[in-house]
Order: sequence, then structure tokens, then C-alpha cells
Amino acid sequence: MAAPASDTLLQQFTGRKTRGVLRFVILGLIAGAAVSSRLFSVIRFESIIHEFDPWFNFRATKYLVQNGFYSFWDWFDDRTWHPLGRVTGGTLYPGLMVTSGVIYHALRALTLPVDIRNICVLLAPGFSGLTAFATYLLTSEMVASPSAGLLAAAFMGITPGYISRSVAGSYDNEAIAIFLLVFTFFLWIKAVKNGSMFWGALTALFYGYMVSAWGGYVFITNLLPLHAFVLICMGRYSPRLYVSYTSWYALGTLASMQIPFVGFLPIRSSEHMSSLGVFGLIQIVGFVEYVRVQLPNKQFQTLLRALVFVIFVVAFGGLVVLTVSGTIAPWSGRFYSLWDTAYAKIHIPIIASVSEHQPTAWPAFFFDLSMMIWLFPAGVYMCFRSLTDEQVFIVIYSVLASYFAGVMVRLMLTLTPIVCVASAMAFSQILDTYLDAKIPEQGAKENGSSDPAKVAAAVLPDGLRSTRNPLVGIYSYASRLTVIGASTVYLMLFVLHCTWVTSNAYSSPSVVLASRLPDGSQHIIDDYREAYYWLRQNTPDNAKVMSWWDYGYQIGGMADRPTLVDNNTWNNTHIATVGKAMSSREEVSYPIMRQHEVDYVLVVFGGLLGYSGDDINKFLWMVRIAEGIWPEEVKERNFFTQRGEYRVDEEATPTMKNSLMYKMSYYNYNSLFPAGQATDRVRGVRLPAEGPQLSTIEEAFTSENWIIRIYKVKEPDNFGRDHQSATAFDKGHKKKRASKRKGPRVLRVE
Amino acid sequence: MRWLQLLTVSVLPLVALAAKKPSGDRFSDFRSKSLSSGNLKLDDNVYTQLTKAPRDYSVVVLLTALETRFGCTLCREFQPEWDLLSKSWQKGDKKAESRLLFGTLDFVDGKSTFQSLMLQTAPVILFFHPTVGPDAKVDAQPVRFDFTAGPQSAEQIHAWVARQLPASSPKPSVVRPINYVKIISVTTAVLGLITFVTVASPYIVPVLQNRNLWAAFSLIGVLLFTSGHMFNHIRKVPYVSGDGKGGISYFAGGFSNQFGLESQIVAAIYGVLSFATISLALKVPRIADARAQQIAVFIWSGVLLCMYSFLLSVFRIKNGGYQFWLPPF
Repeated sequence: MAAPASDTLLQQFTGRKTRGVLRFVILGLIAGAAVSSRLFSVIRFESIIHEFDPWFNFRATKYLVQNGFYSFWDWFDDRTWHPLGRVTGGTLYPGLMVTSGVIYHALRALTLPVDIRNICVLLAPGFSGLTAFATYLLTSEMVASPSAGLLAAAFMGITPGYISRSVAGSYDNEAIAIFLLVFTFFLWIKAVKNGSMFWGALTALFYGYMVSAWGGYVFITNLLPLHAFVLICMGRYSPRLYVSYTSWYALGTLASMQIPFVGFLPIRSSEHMSSLGVFGLIQIVGFVEYVRVQLPNKQFQTLLRALVFVIFVVAFGGLVVLTVSGTIAPWSGRFYSLWDTAYAKIHIPIIASVSEHQPTAWPAFFFDLSMMIWLFPAGVYMCFRSLTDEQVFIVIYSVLASYFAGVMVRLMLTLTPIVCVASAMAFSQILDTYLDAKIPEQGAKENGSSDPAKVAAAVLPDGLRSTRNPLVGIYSYASRLTVIGASTVYLMLFVLHCTWVTSNAYSSPSVVLASRLPDGSQHIIDDYREAYYWLRQNTPDNAKVMSWWDYGYQIGGMADRPTLVDNNTWNNTHIATVGKAMSSREEVSYPIMRQHEVDYVLVVFGGLLGYSGDDINKFLWMVRIAEGIWPEEVKERNFFTQRGEYRVDEEATPTMKNSLMYKMSYYNYNSLFPAGQATDRVRGVRLPAEGPQLSTIEEAFTSENWIIRIYKVKEPDNFGRDHQSATAFDKGHKKKRASKRKGPRVLRVE
Repeated sequence: MRWLQLLTVSVLPLVALAAKKPSGDRFSDFRSKSLSSGNLKLDDNVYTQLTKAPRDYSVVVLLTALETRFGCTLCREFQPEWDLLSKSWQKGDKKAESRLLFGTLDFVDGKSTFQSLMLQTAPVILFFHPTVGPDAKVDAQPVRFDFTAGPQSAEQIHAWVARQLPASSPKPSVVRPINYVKIISVTTAVLGLITFVTVASPYIVPVLQNRNLWAAFSLIGVLLFTSGHMFNHIRKVPYVSGDGKGGISYFAGGFSNQFGLESQIVAAIYGVLSFATISLALKVPRIADARAQQIAVFIWSGVLLCMYSFLLSVFRIKNGGYQFWLPPF
């Protein structure tokens, strides 16, 4: 971490070339640090794809590599969302898969046959090195000090806020999207600075790449117009701005429309209207500026200003009318919930149910950004010193991204780059000031205090309060030593924090769990893969597996079996159907499962191990989502006791005890314990002595630690009985038919 | 005063209409009674009358406790929505084809009903299906709606009521009256604002162009958002809470949990740290006097160290496994 500091030191007595080489070496080392700090999980576990969504991306990449680009583009996937299927090629962001595919083929062309899985696992760390480089470029555009860029790159390389989404194996859209985000911003700043069509076109190119990679591109789509708009409002309109904005907007919109999933959204959805509006505005402003230069007439200017105002109002009114009449699609729910924070809770429980969409408490900010969280405001403040066009961008980005990150945990990711840039600016300011070996002369005091202060105040009337006096420098070595010493300690603490967080919080694949045995050795819990492998080996190729949507991608990726619902939550009703089947009685669920040709049902149960992310804890969301569609048949109230508690023990409500999910979770569970001793270690309760009975499904597989339980849906009974009576018959219970007897028996006499 | 007499005369037949003898049909009696307000104000007697067993109409009754001494804010919040729903139902269903009556029973008027229903909470909505006629249900028990999900809008209750009714009956939707006062006041306010801006622009523009002001706004925004203000806003967390021993606990236990005061303390810590950084980076190098500068460096470095150390100690409270610390705390 001391490397950037030494760069500033060396600056005084090395040549231009040496510094260039040094900078290159430092950037290389930063990239190395960025990549290697993301490899914890590969070293601890193995080269494996993590979590949920990456499994789908991995599956799609395999499909792309096997079947070629065109069939990937037109891919209709009949193995998910059974029986509906999914038009996968048209409903995904292909950037990630295509990137891996290109790397795969490039390596093969270089006669390096690498397994596609390893490319997918290592893509995110690889791109994090590039992100660090892009951050360096972006920061170098912001300030003159070269150490700021290197610091920012180092910050970006190891900050947990970014590592959380880019460890090895986390093969998700964000893996490449953050690099594209930062690089697009760099190109944009470059374009605005130079007023060059070339840089504007490059911005559009990378914007198009970004659109193909991540839905978060909307952030760029709104931030760049906002930047242009604020500049215009500040009276900083210039032909440079006009050229860069128009070339970005025209080319970028065309580029984004090439992605099937985006299609005509850029001219129809409200999310893109701000960029269109600013595009129109900048044309008018440009026209007015042009006319003003031609005709220096005061009245005419007033007229023009009124004209601008009228056009703006008319355009805005037109936009409102189009939105109301439905030509322009309304805000998408996910986006809308960012502004009206209560929206998702009421209207779209499926969005509210995802933990990534929860608001962020302050410890999460500190956890992900550590020391930078308080350097960040200082950096933003420093931008106000000279407030150039590009520094305005930093301010807007900071405020907006802070808000978004506060509303949704996952948007911390968009905040992280600007935090790194701003805090590097603040930190390098300190380093530059206190590492400057030049000692100011004491005599300068007289000059400094009286005359130049007034001159400076006259030149910079709107400057910041803290920079009104002229810069003097640091006098004593004691001050230098204090500040530099403290800064080094803070930087080291930062590195320790980042490593600790990465190692402890963000390096678990969540497919494989690790725990510690009493003697301190590591114990691997591999139930997920055990169960998925069982499915792969013991069930027919087209056996449909029903599970809650969280596990859909994993079943598709690891077990290679068709699923009913998965993490691409495009059809709420279908998910609600599964929720209904899980939360209803067996007699209700069985017809649903038969109608959907379900062969196996998979539940996740953490009661034995104390694994809290299990289905019983997610169960209320299934109930809520099902209640949204069938409010008469599934009622959340019935799952709570009279006193409003959610219980699974003896006191659980009958609805709870009879629900399919409850039965599947606790079926046979008490056989593990002495009679009456069965306990659920997640909820910490004693379970009823009598376990639940199943009749329409039978246990097929239970993994080693009971985390995954798979049940087979029974075929209809051979004798046409319903399953309850068939089970009762098999158990030897006599059918009660006393009431149905018709009178006493009569001896037949014929 | 002649027109007043005329008016009185013209109203007379209506009075006579209102005072006409009960026709024997309970539904039309109750309906004509409820015409004025939309829903019937019930007491124990009327309630039993209304929900008596042979019944060829449906009834929705809101059991509520409006008086302030019961402290039922939910009841009071819901009452205007309920009135709106019943009124717009009545207006939309003039011929009473849905055969549905709305009633409101306040706890003050209907203590024995509340007791017989064993109600512990209010408000509760009961829906009584008809017991005779084509839409009769076998189950005589009313369908109950609990306000478990918090305050409900008229539309939400409308959807619930509509689900209870047979598909054929009309279900007039909720019509919210246009709030003219609001429209006028908003228009006036907007026009006033525009006028004010136009008149005061020579004074406002310099303020708007003041860099310090914008810097302050941006920093406050950033500090608010990064210290979890939106979490407080969305989750509606308590401002502060007791620790069970008579004292105040400033910091909530648990990593993803916080109090209102806690986030403000954290914002203040961040603010002090940032300010110390700004001072060290920008202000100190501008101090012309060597001694003063030396002292300023020590003071700000000390503040920085203490505050950061305090922040780390607070974070260790929130995250038990966190092991890093700095000297003082």
C-alpha cells in the first residue's frame, strides 16, 4: 500500500520514463493483488461456481460454447419453467456469456485448451484487475496528482464492496459490468473534456457492451444525462458537451437496441426518458447559443429564452400525456421501488422477498468500505474546490449512488467505484501535502496573511471557505511524521480489514458449506452437491423437479433436470402456483403437482444442522406470494398462532402442520431422536412427539446432514383409491364403514 | 324570505317519504336508513336485527373503537376509507342489486356484541352471507377480516368484499371524490412560488450559485445516506430503546439492525472524521504561522485517531467477530 506514496516521493528525482515504468509496475502489482485476494474460495474449496444465478450463467455459457452463437441467440429453453419454457435467448443479458465464449475460443486458437468452467470461475477476478486499471484512468482524469489514481486503483482492487460480487466462482453479470461501468464513465469524462466525437463514440461502444451485460446500465443511462443537465443549468454549456453528449446518445441508443432483451425499451420506457429529454434540450440550447452568437440583440435573447421554456414545458407535457395514455411503458417495478420505498412491499412481494433488495443499515456500509466511508465525504468536498466539469460528475454520482446504496443493499456495488475515487482524492491530497519535502520560508508569513489573501478572495469570490487563504505548506518534520505515520497505520488497517472481510464473509460458495469441528479442523458440508448428483444419477433425464425458485438455477445447472420455477422470476403466477402447492394440504397440492407433471419435490431443511437459510424460514414468502394470487385459498394469517407467532412446534397452527412444506421438512425427523426429543436447531424448539404423515408423496432421498430432502410424487393408485385411504390400508387400518351398512345381513335363500 | 318558505314546502314531501312506515322488508328498511351516510350506525339492538338469521341479503359490518380513550389509531385512520367505500358502493349500486348493506358498530354502542364475539382487537370487518335466497351459504358463520397487515385502503377492502359476493352481482368500484381544495391550493402555491422566484431572483440566484451551500447539501446528503438513514425510513425503526435495566441502549444488537439515534451518532462520527481529514488536507497547509500549524496538526490528528478508534469500537459491538482496534478505545 505504500507503493503510491513512494511514487510521489520518487517524482522529484526521476525522469518521465522511469515514472511511467514505475506506474506500470505498480498497476500490475495492484491487479495482481486484486486477483489474488479473490481466490480464497478456490484455494479453500475448489474451482466451483457459487450461489444461484451464476449457475444459470454457467449453463448458458456451456450452451453457447457447444451450440454456437446463433443458436444461443435463438435459444428456447424447455427445461425450465415447465411446462411453459423460457425464451432464454431473448430474456437474458448475453454480454457475460459472450465474453467467456470469446475468451474460450481465443485460448483455443492459441492452442490452450482450458475448461470452460475454469474460465467462468476466474472471469470475475480477471476483470477486477481491469476495473482497478479503469479506476486509475478515471481518477487521473479528475485530479492532477498521479498518486490519486494509483491509490484509487488499489482501493478498488481490494475493497470488500466490490469483492463481494467478484470473488472467483461468482460468475454473475456484475463480474464484468463494474469494469464496464467505470470504463464507460472514464470515456465519458474524456469525451466531455475533449469535446471529441471519437471519445463519445467509444463511450457509446462501451455503453452498448454494458447494456449487453447488466440491467444496471440504466444507472449510466440516467447519470450521464443528469451530468449534462446540471452542466447546462450551471451555465456551462459548451460545444464540447454538445458533441460528446449527442454522439454518445445517438450511437449508444442504437447499440443498446441491438440486445433482444432491451429492444425498443430505450424509446418506450420511462427509465430512458431522461436521456431522450436531455438530448432534446441540448439541441435547443445549442440552437439558441448559435443564434445568440449571430444576433447580439437583447430582446431577441429574451424571446429565445421564453421559447426554450415553452418548448421544455410542451415536451414535458407531451411526455406526461404519453405516459398516461400508455404509449410509454411505466416504470418497471424494481426501478420504481427505488423511489417509492413502500411500493415493492405492497405490490410485488417477489421483489421484496429477495434479501438483496433490503435497505442497508450502517454497519453494512462500514463493512464494505471501511475507512473509505469517512474519506469519501472529504473527497466530495474537495471536488468543490475548483469544481471542473468532471468534478461535478463526481458530486452528482456520489449523492445519487449513496441514496441508491442506502435503499438497496445490492446497489452498494454502484457506489463503490465513486467511493474509491473520492477517497483516493482526499487521501492523496494529504499524502502529497505532507510528503512534500520543500519547507516554506517563515518570511512568507507576512506576505501570506495580508495581501495575497485579498487578491485570492477577489479572484475566487465563490471559492470554498477552507481554501480562501493561499497555500503555504508544512513547516515542521514533526507534523509530517505524525500525519504520514497515522496514514500508514490507517492504510494497513484498511488492508487488514479488507482481507479479513473477504476471507470471512465473501468467500463462501454457499453451495458448499464449511464448519469447524471442536478440534479446529475444517469440516466440509457438501449436501447440495450430494443431492443434485443423486438427482442426476437416479432419475430419468426429463424428471420434473419442483422446488422453491431459489434452487431452480442450481437444479438446472448441477442436476440437469427440468424445473418448474427458477431464479429468473418472470412469471409470478407460476411461482405462486408452486407456493400454493407447498403451503396447502396434501389433498390440494397433489392435483397441482400432477397437473404440472411433477416427479420429484425438493426441499431444503436446516433443522438438523442449524442451517438458517432453509425453506421453513422462507416459507412465509411462499405463503405471501401464493396469497397474492389466491387470497381465498392461502391465508398468511392461518400460519400464525392466535398470539401472532410463527411456530413449528406443538403449538403450530393446523394449517401449518398440514402444509406440504411442513410435512416434507419434518417427515421422519423424530426417528433420529429418542422419543419426544426431536428438536429443530434453527428455530430452537422441541417438535411434536408424533411426526407428520405423508400419503401422496414418498421420501426418495435425504442428504447426509438432512439439508436437502427429495420426495417422489406417487403415481395414481392402481385401484383408483385416493392416496389417503391407500396409505391407511397399507398400514392395516380398517376402513370405517359402519355407517354405510344398509340394514342387517339377510341370509340369501334361493 | 319567500324562497325559504318555498324550500320548506318543497322539502315536506321528502320528509314524509323518510318518515314512512316500515314496509316489513328488513333490507329495504335498512337500506333507506343508510341512504344518507352510506353505512348504518349500529348499536347492539340494530346489530342483532340486521344480522338475524333468515336473511336474504349480505351485510358487512365494521367493528371499531373510534373514541380517543381506546387509543385505536388504526380505527381512526380507517374510518374515512370505510365511509368512502360504503358511500361509493351505495352510489354505484342505486338499485341495490348486490343486496349488500354496510354497517358500523362502535365499541361504545355495542359492548355486548363485542363480548359475545369475544373480540380482543379492533377494527375487525365481518361479512355475513345471506342465509336464504339464491346466494345463500350453508355456513352461517360470518367471514372475518383482521387488520393484520396494518392500515388498509378502501380499494383493498373493496377487493375483499367483492371476493365474498357472487360473481353475478354488481361491484361498483371505489370513487374517490376529487379534492378541489387540494387542487386549488396546489395551483395557488405553484403560482405563488413562480411569482416569488421571479421577484426574488436577484436575491436567490447568488445563494443558489453559492458553492459552499451546495457543498454543504451534498455532504449532508452523502452522510445521511451512508449512515443508514434510508434504513430508518423504510423499516421505521425506533429512535432509541431501553436496555431493560432502566438505561438507554444506544446501539441495537445485530449486524443488520439499528436505531434512529444510532445512525445519527454514526453520521456525526463520519462527519467529524471527514472534517478532520479536510482540515488536515486543506486548512492546515494554509496556516501561515508555524507554531499554530504544528498545534493544528497534532489536534486534528488526535481527533482523527480518537474518532476512528471509537468508530471501530462501535463496530465491534455490532459485529462480534470483528477483531481490529486502534489505541484509545
